[in-house]
Amino acid sequence: MTTYKQLGFYVHQANCTGCKACQIACKDKHDLPVGVTWRRVVEYAGGSNEVNPDGTFRTDVFSYYTSIACNHCEDPICVEVCPSQAMHKGENGIVSVDPSICIGCRYCEMACPYSAPQFDADRGVMTKCDFCADLLAEDQSPACVEACPSRVLDFGEIDDLRAKYGTEAGIEPLPDPSVTRPNLVLTPHKDARASGRGDGAIANPREI
Amino acid sequence: MTAELPLVIFTIMAQMSVGSFVVLGVIQLVGYRVDPKLMDRITDPALYAIGPILVLGMAASLLHLGSPLRAVNSLRHLGGSWLSREIAFGILFAVLGAAFAGVQWRKMLTPRLRQVLAGTTAVVGLGLVYVISRVYTLRTVPSTDTWHTAVSFYATTFLLGSLAVGAALVIASRVRVRRGVEDEEAQALIVRAVRGIAIGSIVVLGVIVVALPTFLGSLAINDSPAAAESLETLVVTYGGLSILQLVLIFAAVAVLAVFLVQLSRGKIDHRGLAVVVVTAFALAFSGELIGRMLFYASMVRIGM
Repeated sequence: MTTYKQLGFYVHQANCTGCKACQIACKDKHDLPVGVTWRRVVEYAGGSNEVNPDGTFRTDVFSYYTSIACNHCEDPICVEVCPSQAMHKGENGIVSVDPSICIGCRYCEMACPYSAPQFDADRGVMTKCDFCADLLAEDQSPACVEACPSRVLDFGEIDDLRAKYGTEAGIEPLPDPSVTRPNLVLTPHKDARASGRGDGAIANPREI
Repeated sequence: MTAELPLVIFTIMAQMSVGSFVVLGVIQLVGYRVDPKLMDRITDPALYAIGPILVLGMAASLLHLGSPLRAVNSLRHLGGSWLSREIAFGILFAVLGAAFAGVQWRKMLTPRLRQVLAGTTAVVGLGLVYVISRVYTLRTVPSTDTWHTAVSFYATTFLLGSLAVGAALVIASRVRVRRGVEDEEAQALIVRAVRGIAIGSIVVLGVIVVALPTFLGSLAINDSPAAAESLETLVVTYGGLSILQLVLIFAAVAVLAVFLVQLSRGKIDHRGLAVVVVTAFALAFSGELIGRMLFYASMVRIGM
């Protein structure tokens, strides 16, 4: 079994078609109930159609997708605020929640800017991406990475990912990476807007 | 708007309890020359009323939990989580307050020691209000990560605390009148206390009407799209309720002004006074309830 100092995810935003195979693979692998979706594909869109002085139209509409689960942050605000220490950073740098300790106060949900911790109403506890730790133990890839038909997703030691793909993680609608220092690397879409400077909006808010 | 109702009830009840305890202490301090027996006779019923209110608030907070049976786990992260500290301060305030109410009821210990216990309870209570405000100063929520959260929580504390005490004083007095055991001395003391409460409420109203527009302005110039969304929630989506909140709080203080006018003419109708103070409390409580619901509704995180 491979061990890691700190695991991270990579997302090739420019190649993502928004098919949501990752999201469904995750949901299937972990048998998640309705309303709980650890990996989500967020669509960020904006722009408008303008009329030129000569009566012709020009358009600057744009749209791009970002597949996001949990980024197992360096400064995980969920771990910081959790009153029960159920939320913790463990083996391989994975942030996970212990359901036998969690009291279901949902404070982590209130704090996380990636909507990673999600409440399971039937069990009364928080749940979240565990990086498919059981698959990693058998040296297999996480379900989302394996499912992507466009090879948008990758995972691995965050230092290796950064050496290979760069260090970008501050793209709308994601928050400024300095807030929680996510272990995430993106290859930005050509229309990508920097975090906090977006002129667009999330086009599928009910799916997030 | 009603999604966080258990937290709305918990925070308001906890703050009202702290405010009531502190205001009762101030009444005792300002009236140090009053016969202690008379003072205790009129203030003790209000003191005993705080307990059930605090317990109600804490019970409401349990409803917010997905696994309330494990609620004790909420104390496991005192070193890092403001939520853990909030629960710890809440329990400490409740235990100290109950201890004080107990020794006050039985007149145990010396009066001086009872004062020390009351003072400690008040300090812990004021600490509790600060700690509650810190629970919401999350760096991922621009609208509540500001000075305004603490200022508005203390405003709630003192406004509802003083008006709740005022209401308890006049209601207890009416009960004594009905039983034929009220004397003029006690009624005169209550009028003095309510005068102080009326003046204190005017000061708190001043703080609210200065702080709120300043806060809304700071949201307006905040670059974050989350702050813009919070502002939109407060002034567009629930704009009517935001106005209603201020109107109700203003009305509460304005009603007290009726009493101040009566007082300046030197004629006090004690039954009328009771109606005025209870009405003022009901108006302020409604306003604060709406305000707190808006507080939670306007919490918008950065990111997605």
